[in-house]
Amino acid sequence: MAVRLTGCRRSFRTRSGETYVAVDGVDLTVQSGEFVSLVGPTGCGKTTILNLVAGLLAPDAGRVEVFGEPLQGINRRATYLFQQDVLLPWKTAEENVMLGLLFRRVPKETARERARAWLARVGLRGFEDRYPYQLSGGMRKRVALAQSLIVNPEILLMDEPFAALDVQTRQIMENDLLRIWQEERKTVLFVTHDLDEAIALSDRVVLLSAGPAARPVAEFPIDLPRPRDVAEVRLDPRFQEVYGRIWERLRGEVLRTYAHRGI
Amino acid sequence: MSGSTLRLVQAAVFVAFIAAWETLSHLRVLDPFFFSRPSAIAERVARWVVTGSIYLHIYVTTVETILAFLTGSVLGVVVGFLFARWTWLSRVFEPYIKVANALPRIVLAPIFTLWFGLGILSKVAFGVTLVFFVVFFNTYQGVREVDRSILYNARMLGASDRDLVRHVLLPSALVWILSSLHTSVGLALVGAVVGEYLGSARGLGYLIQQAEALFDTTGVFAGMVVLSGFVLVVDAVVAALERRLLRWKPPGLAEEPT
Repeated sequence: MAVRLTGCRRSFRTRSGETYVAVDGVDLTVQSGEFVSLVGPTGCGKTTILNLVAGLLAPDAGRVEVFGEPLQGINRRATYLFQQDVLLPWKTAEENVMLGLLFRRVPKETARERARAWLARVGLRGFEDRYPYQLSGGMRKRVALAQSLIVNPEILLMDEPFAALDVQTRQIMENDLLRIWQEERKTVLFVTHDLDEAIALSDRVVLLSAGPAARPVAEFPIDLPRPRDVAEVRLDPRFQEVYGRIWERLRGEVLRTYAHRGI
Repeated sequence: MSGSTLRLVQAAVFVAFIAAWETLSHLRVLDPFFFSRPSAIAERVARWVVTGSIYLHIYVTTVETILAFLTGSVLGVVVGFLFARWTWLSRVFEPYIKVANALPRIVLAPIFTLWFGLGILSKVAFGVTLVFFVVFFNTYQGVREVDRSILYNARMLGASDRDLVRHVLLPSALVWILSSLHTSVGLALVGAVVGEYLGSARGLGYLIQQAEALFDTTGVFAGMVVLSGFVLVVDAVVAALERRLLRWKPPGLAEEPT
């Protein structure tokens, strides 16, 4: 068991001084090597759950366990691929990828070699000395992916990492992610609001209820054959079928979000 | 207007201005006692350069400027950093910083002369009070404005507090400090020259003050000419440094963040 959340609750203080309960009663387990996606309506606390697993947030109530041990502080066995651009603009692609190794006191030359190898693996050979501003959005995501994976984490947390990319770039990135995942067999917890993406990538899709006090309300195993191609798998009748089932539940939650916000 | 025409017009403005000054001075429309004349000023500057008497003054002013800049910057970075990391510090000291920064710094010059004497130390101290605040505010801002996701990312990659400072917070502050480099170097120079002007035995400020005391208008203007040349050189050095240190910035976006 890579990750287990039991009865987790997390609230925030809003600007007006009220308490907003983002998630409550969250029970979630992720098996080692499993690719799990969290989907749900906007503002349902998907990122909050990810941050709980990352150890960036502590739960108000409930327990977070990582490989059977209660999590304290930052989750050292996980890295995080953020939705935002988090590369350091003053470091080259190679220096950015090296960071995690330098933090682990790996000698600089070794770190540099391994960073070069990882950049090649994500298809960026020859771009080692570019600064982030000299790279496209998709390339920056690749650098960020190499940066997260070079430290060989057991768990990879991903928060809508490809949301800002155009459709074509996105599909290529998704396929590359699947290829690397197939080779490395990391445990992945993937947050997205894109149901297509969730089904195409995952072993299991977890649906969250509308916020406030969101929680997982349904789980859908995705037993499509692997290796998958995200574009082709969408044409599979079983894909269509499971999409229909999830969307039916998701639509209900989305409508509840609208009702709550008075839209 | 193309680049070369622009240069041509700029040169024409200069020539016209100098010619008008020279002519009006010869025609006694401008009294040479109060306004001197370009030919006399040029001659004076040339004499200073040929006899070599100017170099000591340039040297002294340069040393004062560099020392004031370095000391003020180091103090500003350290204090700005501490304040940004421990917000209670900034809350406690906020009113005092505000008052100190609002104080017209010129009133400190006499007290610094008393404390540090007529040598370069009092000028450096004066320049430091000017440079410190610019660097301090920029460092504070730079550290506070680091994107939260960038910090989280570094943490997730295993950064210790020291790693965060070294790889994320300081470089981020450096961007802001560098963007204010022109201002802070300029202020260091202002500190040096004004300090010299108010009391010293050497330096470009002293030179101008001496000439003024003797009603030597030509000397005052000649001092100003040398000072302007000096500023242009300093500015070019700063610009080159900036280009080198900010080469990771997209061209055209390297301006001051405000």
